Amino acid sequence: MGSRALLLLKGPSPPKHNILFLFNCKKCISAPSIRKFTTKATANGSSLEPPDVARLAETARISLTPQQVEEFGPKIRQVIDWFGQLQAVDLDSVEPSIRADTEGDNLRHDDPETFANREAIIDAVPNYEDPYIKVPKVLNKE
Amino acid sequence: MLSTLQQPPRSLSRIPLHLSSIKPLRSFFTVGSASVSASASQDQSSPPSSQILTVRHSLLSRQITATQLAESYLSRLSLTEPHLHSFLHISDTLLRDAQLIDRKIETGEDVGPLAGVFVGVKDNICTDDMPSTGGSRILENYKAPYDATAVRRVKEKHGILIGKTNLDEFGMGSTTEASSFQVTANPWDLSRVPGGSSGGSAAAVSARQCMVSLGSDTGGSVRQPASFCGVVGLKPTYGRVSRFGLMAYASSLDVIGCFGTSVADTGILLHAISGHDRFDATSSNREVPDFTSQFSSINLMESKPLKGLKVGLIRETLEDGVDNGVKSAISGAASHLEELGCTVTEVSLPSFSLGLPAYYILASSESSSNLSRYDGVRYGNQIFAESLNSLHGDSRSKGFGPEVQMRILMGTYALSAGYYDAYYKRAQQVRTLVRKSFKEALDDNDILISPVAPSAAYKIGEKKNDPLAMYAGDIMTVNVNLAGVPALVLPCGFVEGGPAGLPVGLQMIGAAFDEVKLLKIGHIFEQTLQGCRFIPPLVADDLVVAKDVFRG
Repeated sequence: MGSRALLLLKGPSPPKHNILFLFNCKKCISAPSIRKFTTKATANGSSLEPPDVARLAETARISLTPQQVEEFGPKIRQVIDWFGQLQAVDLDSVEPSIRADTEGDNLRHDDPETFANREAIIDAVPNYEDPYIKVPKVLNKE
Repeated sequence: MLSTLQQPPRSLSRIPLHLSSIKPLRSFFTVGSASVSASASQDQSSPPSSQILTVRHSLLSRQITATQLAESYLSRLSLTEPHLHSFLHISDTLLRDAQLIDRKIETGEDVGPLAGVFVGVKDNICTDDMPSTGGSRILENYKAPYDATAVRRVKEKHGILIGKTNLDEFGMGSTTEASSFQVTANPWDLSRVPGGSSGGSAAAVSARQCMVSLGSDTGGSVRQPASFCGVVGLKPTYGRVSRFGLMAYASSLDVIGCFGTSVADTGILLHAISGHDRFDATSSNREVPDFTSQFSSINLMESKPLKGLKVGLIRETLEDGVDNGVKSAISGAASHLEELGCTVTEVSLPSFSLGLPAYYILASSESSSNLSRYDGVRYGNQIFAESLNSLHGDSRSKGFGPEVQMRILMGTYALSAGYYDAYYKRAQQVRTLVRKSFKEALDDNDILISPVAPSAAYKIGEKKNDPLAMYAGDIMTVNVNLAGVPALVLPCGFVEGGPAGLPVGLQMIGAAFDEVKLLKIGHIFEQTLQGCRFIPPLVADDLVVAKDVFRG
């Protein structure tokens, strides 16, 4: 079964490497570093921009060094490409499910309660000066 | 008699344990079955009995005390932890908690169904008396201000928390190699992974460092380590157990699950923690049945106790890429089920292969949102910086390991403006397809079966640098999370490898909220399995059958 999933790794273009070999071989073989399929095209020919790791890191508020961007880039692109195979599936009449069950929300009444262990919450704050949680000044960008 | 599955290879070497120094342990751990008649031989191939019930009986009849048990476990931990690294934290109130139970018993007070039960808790489940790190440096030393509901229920039933177990950071991984603190070893072969992300919880139960444990399962994180470590693992229906206090990874997929050395123990623990919780809007209002109510002693069973049951073997899980040893163990398990009276047929779930990329899209997207709370401001480790953005950015880049960072970035991409339709929405549509196909298959069959993973436990370091190779190993488990249905994994055979062979688990999948049927079938399967004893060589030396201790 795993190989079937990996066959789908190839996305729209034919496999340039024998990925089955990669999976079946018992020795540790690191993934070929050259993935020949393009990162731009998907099965429908739509051109989603490939992931810009540096920009994503900024959006996600993770400070990556240029070296880390270099390191993560290919791995992330590889996985995103692999995600792309969903483009090829006909899902037109299928409703999206936000989760598995159909029970619906079991919401409790919106009655505020005081949490019994406030002290522990405050103790966990890294930089606290009663009654403030301290953070660096948020500068206005000009 | 019933089928004998492939025997484990002869055990070649074991970690030398100095038996004299752990003498007190010997009489407290029995592999004999209290529920089987006294004439049954309590030898190396008798089926596992419920440790929970056995211990309860011994405590209430004053044969042992909880304090003695606690001392045994501490002794065992000190011997095995240097090799296994299952735990991130061991409780320092263990003896005191045990003494409390003893006092209750002495004074004739009623004790809960988990009295004397030593429970390991995965470190992404909040406990207010021990740190909860999620396996991450960003929460190193974090003390949660509350117990997760599942933990609270264990305590209310007088279970004793033995410690917090190791995991892949925030549940993201299949080996514990992504833990920021340590890698847990597989008790069957210390050079191999225990599986993940609940690797510590599985290894701890397998090595008898605790009786049962809690884990979490988002894409297989209870079931795969159960298979790799030769223990029983249960993933309940989504909504069966409250997620309140479980550090969220993918909120639409996460569940808290149970590990035990027997189906009975796993079912008892599940019952203890299940039920609606007003703090979890996704927890089900359904009544919680007694999950072990349909268990029967094997002596009272007819020769075909599962007669009339229809079992569907998922065709897509037995194709190329699965180890021959695993295929062989699963077909042996299918034969065993047939001997018990089941009809086993192949079923096809056509949307199966799409489930894997759909799962990773959903999981990384939801995790990118769920992990945004770890910003170093209100809790966790903060890296000070001059600007707020840098404080967030540096705290997160220093606090999160590379796998977590990558998944957050992938999720951020998939949810970016313009890409939602292409990825997240399509993955949700695949979820609908998977739900439907499972429902149809389970309308026609009582349970579905499959392997848990394409192989048994592999070597530490083997898959570390290839994310897709590691993700590929999840193919048999993720669809169950997408469908939200329950699944039970129990050891069914061995493959070659390690000093005494490596265990292989069988996955049984049931209809939503039908854990009773799943556990009933699992229990019968387990109790009638001949010739296999799932005790790792690391432990086997000091697990002595004490014929007399628990009799009566």
